Amino acid sequence: MSELLLLTPELLVLLGALIALFADRITGHPRAAAHIGAPLAVIAALVAALIGTHGGVFAGMLALDSLAVFARVAIALLLAFWLRWVSGRGAGAERSAEAVALAMLSAVGGMLMASARDLIVLFISLELSTMPAYVLMGYRRTDARGLEGALKYFLLSMLTSLIMLYGLSFAYGISGSTAYADLGVVDAGTLGQLAIAFVLVGLFAKLSAAPFHYWTPDAYAGAPAGSVAYVSTVPKIAGVVALVQLVAAFAGNGGTITVVLLAGSLLSMLVGNLAAYPQTDIRRLMAYSGVAHSGYILLAAAAGSAGGTAAVFYAVAYAVPSMAIMLLGSEEGTALDDLAGLAARRPAVAWASVVWLLSLIGIPPMVGFFGKLTMFTAALDNGLLWIVAVAVTMSVVSAGYYFKILRSVFFGERLDAGRATRSTAAVIAYAALTVVTLALGVLASPVLEFFGLRF
Amino acid sequence: MDLPLLTVIVFLPLLGAAVVALLGNARAAAGRAVAATVAVVDLALVAWLAMRFDVDGGMQFVEKLTWVPQVGITYHLAIDGMSLSMVALSALLTMLAIVASWKTEKNPALWFSMLLLLEVGMNGVFVAMDFVLFYVFWELVLVPMYFLIATWGGPRRQYAAVKFFLYTLFGSVFMLVGIIALYLQTGTLDILEMAGAGLDPTFQWWVFAAFFLGFAVKVPVFPLHTWLPDAHVEAPTAASVLLAGVLLKMGSYGFLRISLPILPDAAAEWSTFIAALAAISIVYGAAVAFAQTDMKKLVAYSSVSHMGFVMLGIASMTPEGLNGAVAVMFSHGVVTGMLFFLVGMVYDRTHTRMIAEVSGLSAKVPVAGGLLAFASFASLGLPGLSGFVGEFLSLLGAWASDIPVGWVVTSAVGVLLAAAYMLWLVQRVVLGSPSEAVAGITDLSVREVAVLLPLVALTLVVGLYWDSLLRFTDPAVRSVLAMMGGA
Repeated sequence: MSELLLLTPELLVLLGALIALFADRITGHPRAAAHIGAPLAVIAALVAALIGTHGGVFAGMLALDSLAVFARVAIALLLAFWLRWVSGRGAGAERSAEAVALAMLSAVGGMLMASARDLIVLFISLELSTMPAYVLMGYRRTDARGLEGALKYFLLSMLTSLIMLYGLSFAYGISGSTAYADLGVVDAGTLGQLAIAFVLVGLFAKLSAAPFHYWTPDAYAGAPAGSVAYVSTVPKIAGVVALVQLVAAFAGNGGTITVVLLAGSLLSMLVGNLAAYPQTDIRRLMAYSGVAHSGYILLAAAAGSAGGTAAVFYAVAYAVPSMAIMLLGSEEGTALDDLAGLAARRPAVAWASVVWLLSLIGIPPMVGFFGKLTMFTAALDNGLLWIVAVAVTMSVVSAGYYFKILRSVFFGERLDAGRATRSTAAVIAYAALTVVTLALGVLASPVLEFFGLRF
Repeated sequence: MDLPLLTVIVFLPLLGAAVVALLGNARAAAGRAVAATVAVVDLALVAWLAMRFDVDGGMQFVEKLTWVPQVGITYHLAIDGMSLSMVALSALLTMLAIVASWKTEKNPALWFSMLLLLEVGMNGVFVAMDFVLFYVFWELVLVPMYFLIATWGGPRRQYAAVKFFLYTLFGSVFMLVGIIALYLQTGTLDILEMAGAGLDPTFQWWVFAAFFLGFAVKVPVFPLHTWLPDAHVEAPTAASVLLAGVLLKMGSYGFLRISLPILPDAAAEWSTFIAALAAISIVYGAAVAFAQTDMKKLVAYSSVSHMGFVMLGIASMTPEGLNGAVAVMFSHGVVTGMLFFLVGMVYDRTHTRMIAEVSGLSAKVPVAGGLLAFASFASLGLPGLSGFVGEFLSLLGAWASDIPVGWVVTSAVGVLLAAAYMLWLVQRVVLGSPSEAVAGITDLSVREVAVLLPLVALTLVVGLYWDSLLRFTDPAVRSVLAMMGGA
């Protein structure tokens, strides 16, 4: 029983998901699900923080190390921010109750995935975090483009999941066990190499890292921006934790993982940043920028245990402002020109967007800078000088396209009035995301201290 | 002392910026009064600090707190004579910029808060003694300057603002790599602790290269200067003044504070290369300035030339040269600030910056014409005015050093060129009979004269009484050289 208590945060979110399905009917309020879900998610985050770290539970299937705790809290909090936004805005023209339930189920999967210590648990939680995302991406049932993108996402994601499962079966065949702790025997033999490569294929696709990124721009561009805000950020955090823990578990791989991670990193940074540059739709732009950020994360993941911590920290540093920008796009319109004149209409939100974008570029004192600082420190410590040089050069390129958004917000001319009506809940969500973007940078120390993160 | 004076000097403008922004455009008059008050108080605090400053006391007013101990970041502020001269320049020019742009009508709340935010970054860079803190302020400067250029600039302001941002960012990300490399090697991020660490020469060479990219873009050193003319031509007057007056100095300050003391072996290896680039910058900047038909562009290119003397002085690594470098940094801030203010004031009246369309200022508007002539003389390095001090000392230091004599001679030719293009400017614009554009204009207002007078006074004081500046800089540059010598 006491072990089940450790899962209270997951259970709370699960409870929220179940309530969400009926909340609208019972209360008669169209967005009751999100109104109930947001505080539940906050409580889940607090409980997860209070529980803190814990050794192996359920016969070692799960373990709450500092990374898992950090990820659990981050996922629950981001879910709360997203739900808060939905409670004011809804999920587009559709009913929002199912979207709320799906997002919460996906968050349960993500939180479990972060603490998984067993391949079976990993795969199940991975699917739990991804399945709802397919539906969220195709949430607008009447939109042919959205459905096409969602179908593409579904098919490719299933394919990569199955490849990953195939790889996991190899790993099981070699080690005779599904526990992470026994994966060290997966050596550099042919079968071991294949196992590792297949597992990485699955995780790369979850992180939309190149070369398994090509579904993202189409899927995002067809999906409701509000869904993208969730799908492109929260599941990624869990994916990075799983990646980092698997990389550590495959200790006997003889350097194969490092090579694959670095190749994926290089490709993602180049493809993501260069392809993001010409985009005019925020969803496509952020899709490619997400690919680029996954590239930085893979670089850190290849850089030892300090790098692993940095990768998870950076995943959060990426998710927070990225979610904010997609939510803003959902509210104001997703073409770059839709944001034109935002500074005149909503100056506070416009300045908040400056904070988000500068954080994504990596300008101090925002969290993105500390993410890059710790990542590059870990990578340089591992002698990855040249790839770090590529990474920093590419972050200058990224400034080029993020400034296109800024330029539209502050200097774009727009004749018609903005379409967004005021929503207090959305403003609260923006404020919370902005505070986290700033505070996690300036006050990084107490946060790192609390979670016991070490670089 | 209990009062954390440097923290107050750095962050008071941040408070001011927030207040001005919150007052908004509806209460713009109150906002600019707040902005001016904050800037004046800040300058007064710098003056107060200068009075209590012990010129032989090395690093003073030290504040050191832990910030992110997990990665060794501290909140470490301190000031020496070199920093003090730069902070004084920053506080003075910010205040003057606020007064000079008193009548800004387009979005004044944003304008004044951005100027104050810029001051936070500028003041901070010169007193931050922790690498990450230094980097924070270094990058902080970019944001307000981007908005100043992109909102109030000329027709191509968007292009110029983004170009400025991206160029500087490109340099600074490599600086960040250098910072991380130093941290991994020494285990500290403290700039002062790291000095004289006796690092491996090959390692030094690479880190120096990384920092060189960051600093040389900012200075700017030929051929990394191409953002500067665009930024200056498009920038509004006050932004040009602060860009040329303070932002460029951040680059040369970086060489003096970081590259030389921490990477002395690499600095010695690089000195000839830097001297060569300095000489090329001097002559190239001057030659291009010659060809300009736009007054503002002429002043912008003359900055490339003058900053070349700073780099020459730094490359000499002699007491004279380094004193000269700091003196040029200070004097260029004052004199070029004056020139940009004057060009802006003339433009406000004539609505043209074309040299060919403006002539006879002294006949029509004697105060403006006279001050423009004065500033031009100071800029060309007339003995008795501040411009001469630094250029003379830089050249003297370069002669005394190992820099190949050819580069020194080339640089000296630059002095002649500067005299030629500035005098030619005076001849065409100040002298002669009033042109059509000048015919109906009025002379400078009391407010405008009040902006220029402190700069005129500083030009004279430093030019006539060198010790007024050098007494602050000399101990500081000697300690830099001592760190280079003794490991």
